[in-house]
Amino acid sequence: MVKEVEFLKGPELKNIEDYDFPGLHWALSLGPDKLIKEISEARLLGRGGAGFPTGTKWDLARQQKGDRKYFICNADEGEPGTYKDRYLMEQRPLKVLEGIIIGAYAVEANHGFIYIRGEYSRPIKIMKNIIEEAREAGVLGENIFDSGFDFNLRLVRGAGAYVCGDETALINSIEGKRGISRIKPPYPIQKGLFDQPTVVNNVESLACAAEILNKGAGEFASYGTENSRGTKLISLSGDVNYADIFEVEFGSCTLREIIEDLAGGVKGGREPKFVVPGGLSTAALTAEELDCKYSYEGIEEAGSSLGSGAIIVCRESRDLVDILLKVSRFYMDETCGTCFPCREGNRQINHMLTQHRNRTFSREEVELVEDIGEAIASAARCGLGQTSLSLISSIFDKFPHELIEEGVRT
Amino acid sequence: MIKLTIDNKEVEVEPGTTLLEAAEKIHINIPTLCYEEDLSIFGGCRLCVVETDSSDLLQPACATEAEEGMGVKTHSPRVREVRQTLFELIIASHDITCELNCLTCQRKKSCELREVAEDINISRMRLEPIYQGREKDYSSYSVAREPNKCITCDRCIRKCREVQDVGIFANSARGPETTVTTFQDKGLGNVECTNCGQCVISCPTGALHEVYHMDEVWNAIYDDSKHVIVQTAPAVRVAIAEPFGAEPGTVATGQMVEALRRLGFDGVFDTNFTADLTIMEEGTEVVERIKNNENLPVLTSCSPGWIKFIEHFYPEHLDNLSTAKSPQQMFGALARSYYAETVGVDPEDLVVVSIMPCTAKKFEARRPEMDGDVDYVLTTREAATMIKAAGIDICQLEEAEYDQLMGVSTGAGDIFAASGGVMEAALRSAYNLITGEELEELDIEPVRGLQGLKKAEVPVNSDLTLKVGVAHGLGNARKMMEMIKDGEEFHFVEFMACPGGCIGGGGQPISPYLSRKEVLERRRKGVYQIDSGKKLRRSHENPMVQKLYEDYLGQPGSHKAHKLLHTEYTPRDIH
Repeated sequence: MVKEVEFLKGPELKNIEDYDFPGLHWALSLGPDKLIKEISEARLLGRGGAGFPTGTKWDLARQQKGDRKYFICNADEGEPGTYKDRYLMEQRPLKVLEGIIIGAYAVEANHGFIYIRGEYSRPIKIMKNIIEEAREAGVLGENIFDSGFDFNLRLVRGAGAYVCGDETALINSIEGKRGISRIKPPYPIQKGLFDQPTVVNNVESLACAAEILNKGAGEFASYGTENSRGTKLISLSGDVNYADIFEVEFGSCTLREIIEDLAGGVKGGREPKFVVPGGLSTAALTAEELDCKYSYEGIEEAGSSLGSGAIIVCRESRDLVDILLKVSRFYMDETCGTCFPCREGNRQINHMLTQHRNRTFSREEVELVEDIGEAIASAARCGLGQTSLSLISSIFDKFPHELIEEGVRT
Repeated sequence: MIKLTIDNKEVEVEPGTTLLEAAEKIHINIPTLCYEEDLSIFGGCRLCVVETDSSDLLQPACATEAEEGMGVKTHSPRVREVRQTLFELIIASHDITCELNCLTCQRKKSCELREVAEDINISRMRLEPIYQGREKDYSSYSVAREPNKCITCDRCIRKCREVQDVGIFANSARGPETTVTTFQDKGLGNVECTNCGQCVISCPTGALHEVYHMDEVWNAIYDDSKHVIVQTAPAVRVAIAEPFGAEPGTVATGQMVEALRRLGFDGVFDTNFTADLTIMEEGTEVVERIKNNENLPVLTSCSPGWIKFIEHFYPEHLDNLSTAKSPQQMFGALARSYYAETVGVDPEDLVVVSIMPCTAKKFEARRPEMDGDVDYVLTTREAATMIKAAGIDICQLEEAEYDQLMGVSTGAGDIFAASGGVMEAALRSAYNLITGEELEELDIEPVRGLQGLKKAEVPVNSDLTLKVGVAHGLGNARKMMEMIKDGEEFHFVEFMACPGGCIGGGGQPISPYLSRKEVLERRRKGVYQIDSGKKLRRSHENPMVQKLYEDYLGQPGSHKAHKLLHTEYTPRDIH
């Protein structure tokens, strides 16, 4: 039986009087250099979906010169199926705050934002409160804990665009501009919010950073595999008996074990039809492909991606065409509309699926999905766009006998 | 320097060079749609994607900087395949239906989609066009929008914002609904659009174009009861042969006159004549105002895009504008008075047509204070289309002469076409007005050329050195106005709304094959070539202008001249 671990999870921690920010104290005593070294040695990878090493990001940002530096916590948790950042903000908001201040201190940013998706009214309320209380308690503001470090944090509420989860679109949104991605380079680290060096980190990454400082890089590194250190919060949803947030050690179990042991198995007790392992932008895995280890490399080997850690389970009785239609509708509505492959590609796929009357698709139609999939994956302007057809393409790929005329791949 | 390999060819470039620029250096053409020189990088169309050995993803050549040792493939099988699919997607979003509306589109010869189709050798079209069902915008007298043809490359947005510094366009809605529109969807005629038409020049498709007057002009020509005369602006002659295959800058004055006569106009006249007249009126006004130190600096008033700009953005400076009408409107006023009386035509039966390099002239002709003087305004593009539709190839024609009464001009009138030209023409005559002597060196180089802001000091006599400024493109106009507001002193400043002046006007032919800079440079050379070839190069030497004053107007600035040739301006809001 797979067991949960508790590195990030824990009892509700919302009262600022109950918490003395040990990680932050430790970070302030280390100084930015050693602090970044600590995070780098822990080999923490960004938990938002792209998996960029957090220590490297901070190190690069620290070296940047600018009039001002900004530190942004990305809490625009929009990847369908993902709700682990909500959990952290609702249950462990002080850890999130601690992570933000540690990160800002590491890169020497005196101004920060937490950008929370608009639909998250409860986390917004909680974080707003916490920020106010932290200001009064001297955890935010000037000369934090007599360290000489000043940091101001503001909360910005998103307006409902999925694409604002992309860091450059998020930056545009804070600036009051349209939520569309920016061309990289320049990267936000070089020229981000208001053209100043800017670091954007996911909520879970920052909570991890806080715990690494609290508990030591050693404990963090004792979890996981060579390439996937630590633990991961998994948002389980779909046709399982217990949909919830679970924390697992990387590499300690397989996808199948997570579904069966932690989530209580598939509803109705059968094998799943397929599982989406990392949020709606990742390729589906069939029931036969679930014995891969739950780690960045394990899921990659199985042909998908760990993404944001959202596992969506679909049982056998689900209608594939209906799923395709719903997924494509999401991406059509949520493409920002800037680059042609993502905008027109997702529209065309949705158009094709909407017009579709048969149970199966013709070879020509499937070829079109493949070609548009290739154009989007290799030429879209931002990461969100590039992965927008991953799931749909993979469903066509894995269920040819159900979806394609004569059941033959072209 | 950075060395990289593009399509097995080594190339050395400066750091910061994009792959698109590096490829161009070794004459590899990479297709683009949303890219335009002088505009910020948008990276939306993705047609320029290339394969590099540093990424699994394809990289947009317009937005990717060359790196040392980089290997780039611009036309690999993968790239070509993706480009085909991208193009299919773009075309499906563009309004091409079974009605074959390419054939009725005025951009059929200069459409960049067609150019790309050729460049990538498109061989398939599997997608049904998605009709967007958006309404056309005909709210403006000058510029029309057909949003169903818009591919949202945002070049108009960037041109208006970055080059013209006006910014009437923006994106609205999101996803596939993303559209280009004006503030609150009010339409081009109801926002602070200056009508300059630079967006039309930037548009790769037929989504933006002038409000056509061709049908009205055909009808007038066919109507025997009408006496239809036409005037041609200075910048038209160096561009009108382009749609017939000639190089930009080809001087086709005589051929154009012949073509217009064949088209059926009853009189073919030259706006350059009234350009000379403008110098007489404006020059007199400038000298008077300098003498009286009244509302200095004097700002020129020939460019209707600039006029609308100052009315919107600097209404507190309207008193600085010269009150002289533009050459087009002077012509219109004189046609209905001087010309009609001289040749004995009932002004009711007279139809006055202009051929202008300009879209804003269409608006100017409808300004209430002058409405009815000029009936129809054709852009250079529309005029060429009509000439073609009459079966005439302008390049094959013999040269003909303008009709005399309002068809004679000096070189000073010709150079009105280019940035700095009005200033140079004015200086050539102002010198005479103040000193009574002739300026010997007529080529006033500091005010010539394509640099955005120009300044010069021209010593006139021991008491007076004229300080003049020139700005072209509204972005530069704004800079110049800010300089003036900050206290920089000038006597006289020339403004033209379009980059390069009228030669770069929003109504000029669109050449998809040459860079914008190259087109402007060639037309500019054509203009100065005409001037330098003329015997008479000072407006006050124009014998027909002299005759006009003798027979009809009296003196420059006379009461009658004021009534016919001067106007007033309207302060406008910013939305």
